[in-house]
Amino acid sequence: MALSETVGARGAASAARPRFSSDLQQVWIGVALIAVTGFGPSILGNSYWVHTFQLVNIYIAAAIFQNFLFVDAGQKSFGQGVLLGLGAYVTAIFFGLHDYPFALAALIGLGAATAGGLLFAFPALRVQYFHLGFVTLSAAIVFPQLLMSLDRWTNGINGISVSLPALHDEFFLGLSPLTILVALYPMTALAIHYALRRSRLGRQMRVAAISPEAARSLGIKPGVMRFIAFVIAAVGTGVCGILYLPAVSFVSPQGFNVELSFVFFFAVVVGGRGQMLGPVIGIWIVFILPNIALAQFVEYRLLIYGLLTLATVMLFPDGIVGSIERWRVKRGVTGRGEQAFRVDAFLEQLTGGSDRQPTDEIVVEVRGGTKKFGEVVAVDSVDLKVRRGEIHGLIGANGSGKTSLLNVLSGLSRLNAGSFFIDGREATRLAADRIADSGVGRTFQTPRIFPQFSLWDNLRIGMDARTGEASAGVARLAEVLEKEFAEDSAELLSHGQRRLVEVMRTVLKEADIVYFDEPAAGLSSSERANFARLVKFLARRMGKTIILVEHDLDLVFNIADTVTVMEQGRVVASGRPEEVARDPATQHMFVGGRRA
Amino acid sequence: MLSEIAIIVVRGIAIGSIFAMIAMSFNIVHGATGILNFAQGNMLVLGGFGAFFLANETGVAWWLLMLPLTGILIAGLVALQGWITLLPLRSSVEQDSWLISTVAVSVIIAAVLMITQGPFAYTVQGVVPSFRIFGVRTPGAYALSIGCMVFWFIALRIFLRHTFVGLAISALSQDFDAARAAGLPVRRLQIVAFAISGLMVGTAGFLVAPVISVASDAGLRYVLNGFVAAVVGGIGSNLGTLIGGPLVGVVTMLTAYRIGGAYQDLASLLVLVAILMLRPQGLFGRVSARRV
Repeated sequence: MALSETVGARGAASAARPRFSSDLQQVWIGVALIAVTGFGPSILGNSYWVHTFQLVNIYIAAAIFQNFLFVDAGQKSFGQGVLLGLGAYVTAIFFGLHDYPFALAALIGLGAATAGGLLFAFPALRVQYFHLGFVTLSAAIVFPQLLMSLDRWTNGINGISVSLPALHDEFFLGLSPLTILVALYPMTALAIHYALRRSRLGRQMRVAAISPEAARSLGIKPGVMRFIAFVIAAVGTGVCGILYLPAVSFVSPQGFNVELSFVFFFAVVVGGRGQMLGPVIGIWIVFILPNIALAQFVEYRLLIYGLLTLATVMLFPDGIVGSIERWRVKRGVTGRGEQAFRVDAFLEQLTGGSDRQPTDEIVVEVRGGTKKFGEVVAVDSVDLKVRRGEIHGLIGANGSGKTSLLNVLSGLSRLNAGSFFIDGREATRLAADRIADSGVGRTFQTPRIFPQFSLWDNLRIGMDARTGEASAGVARLAEVLEKEFAEDSAELLSHGQRRLVEVMRTVLKEADIVYFDEPAAGLSSSERANFARLVKFLARRMGKTIILVEHDLDLVFNIADTVTVMEQGRVVASGRPEEVARDPATQHMFVGGRRA
Repeated sequence: MLSEIAIIVVRGIAIGSIFAMIAMSFNIVHGATGILNFAQGNMLVLGGFGAFFLANETGVAWWLLMLPLTGILIAGLVALQGWITLLPLRSSVEQDSWLISTVAVSVIIAAVLMITQGPFAYTVQGVVPSFRIFGVRTPGAYALSIGCMVFWFIALRIFLRHTFVGLAISALSQDFDAARAAGLPVRRLQIVAFAISGLMVGTAGFLVAPVISVASDAGLRYVLNGFVAAVVGGIGSNLGTLIGGPLVGVVTMLTAYRIGGAYQDLASLLVLVAILMLRPQGLFGRVSARRV
């Protein structure tokens, strides 16, 4: 296959193709629904529904931030009710009990909610997953207990009443400032969630949530991402607390028990995890159904929450909006088969200049590197030198320590003894994200493809990982790729295509040094041939240094400039391919005449 | 003064033994499935309700008969819950669903108890008489609690190391894919693990009913303290729970006596955060090798 065919023939068709993501449409539907329920009752003059939807819209905003935290950042928090409660209660204490101006009291309340979020966020720097679930759930249980027992400050069980008549004055079509505020806020929250998703930060957060290793190899610190997400969600939920105060005019410990946190969490699940519209529909169902529609069974509401949520997980795990979205995607998105993703034509954007040869400068060097897992020595005092611009093949049987060495060189695990250098600087104790930032890119044995992202966004996270401005060629390449793949799904790509996506990511990152971890596994023979050409292109035309861990000896011996053979954690031979092939120490690898 | 220390230590260890048993019941399910059952505290409370309805103020013989019955009933309930929890995991790779479904089940059990039994804490008469230790009168259930913890620790150890099913469950916790490849009936073993965890907390709840809060809303507090005990000991380490449980018990008891009963849960939350920040693998936990 020539480096020129592909693309084309799709320009006309692409106009009719459905959009990959319906996020924006969902935001607009959400805004419309909130507007109708937020403003409608006032215009119609129904004060019961005015009041009800004030609270519902505040809860929707809190659920939107829960949705962001839950899915975009991957943090399961059962304590968002605490943050809302902190915002509301602290504002009430300063405004209602100490007669501070409302704005100042609200600011202190927001500060308290943010501080609460930081308390969740600090453990998140160290641990994740169910640990945080328990920490936040504990907080949700402890919070009302503290409100009760710290009665010197909180008024204990009597709660605090506040009155803010100015906010309730109807001044236009029956609307009060409060009604407008509590309707605009969830709309704003939706806009914030949407904007975050479209941002570099939002993409990096989602990568970190789904695959921490891939994130770290793209220069992302997953702990920092979790931390930022908790703080954003805390501030957003704290504002909900401030709005809660004038809407309800009263706070008491019972209003902020664990049930409130469950409402937000369950609303996100029932509505559809990760769907922009999910929290709106979720709160309507989880909160309105038992509390208003079935008000005579109010003592059954917890049971209804629980059963709804369990039924959702069992029967339609994507939730209500998510199930509709899945159906839309299924109907609209078709694969493009072999044509779905090919890199050759795009790489043409980068050509120019002539072939380069490896230089003698050493860019990656390992000195006496040893890596142990318990008693097992995976890498045993290995010395390795990789020259700039060369393709360095690393071969050996399963368990010989190749991938362990690669993980050490990416910073995903640490050497027990010895050291290694990248570009002449010691990198032995550098974290993976720092190594990535110093110009290293890598692929994984199982390609890290994110089906939540469009194909272009899957590539774009390579751009996001850059530390400097893109070179002219890469910027042009990115433009072409965006035009081509912005509305494509990555889920239907074949394994070989997924591999190419990962490679292209490292190209967009402009990594000078690229590690490939068994890239040919699972590729067809024509895909292998293409892949070999691609690797040569990266090294010869783009001047990248490549370390290739691979079992396909034909592939390695065809393209590598240097081959290193590992056996039981040790380097047994290293040199030019033809020398290594003759080396007695490697003969057993070629038994039967056929390289296996 | 001395008697206060005695009360704090003896009752702290005894209450902590309950946390340790919840922690051990976490470990067996977590090892076999990777799941932490948020409803485990409710199962303990259900064991307490078992004691209230089946064996309150009855003779010792009847009580002894009802103990295994309650344990088996709750083992069946947890096995059913485990089966439900594992259903969506069969087909999808998605890992959040168990977190949601076990929390949902925990809410459902609490809600059903609330609707049928009301918000009250039930008093259960102990069968074992109270005794004096360090000059302090101590309800017999406290001794039962410690004894039950030791019993389950030894029983689990023997089961996991010396029976075929136990070894198979241990194999699951070592390497899931290898166990499946070796032809072990993974799903059935996982449900057995759930059932054993139910048997443990069911019998524990029955035995300690006189000294725990047998109330619809108590489950969450027990599950959280059990989790703190598991984390302190290191998740997966039953030996660790023998330290973690009593430690958390003594801390909460000390808080109750010195600061106030309302601050007990805050104290365990602080212990949890401290251990996660300083030593997330716990006292006896291993740092597991990362897979890439």
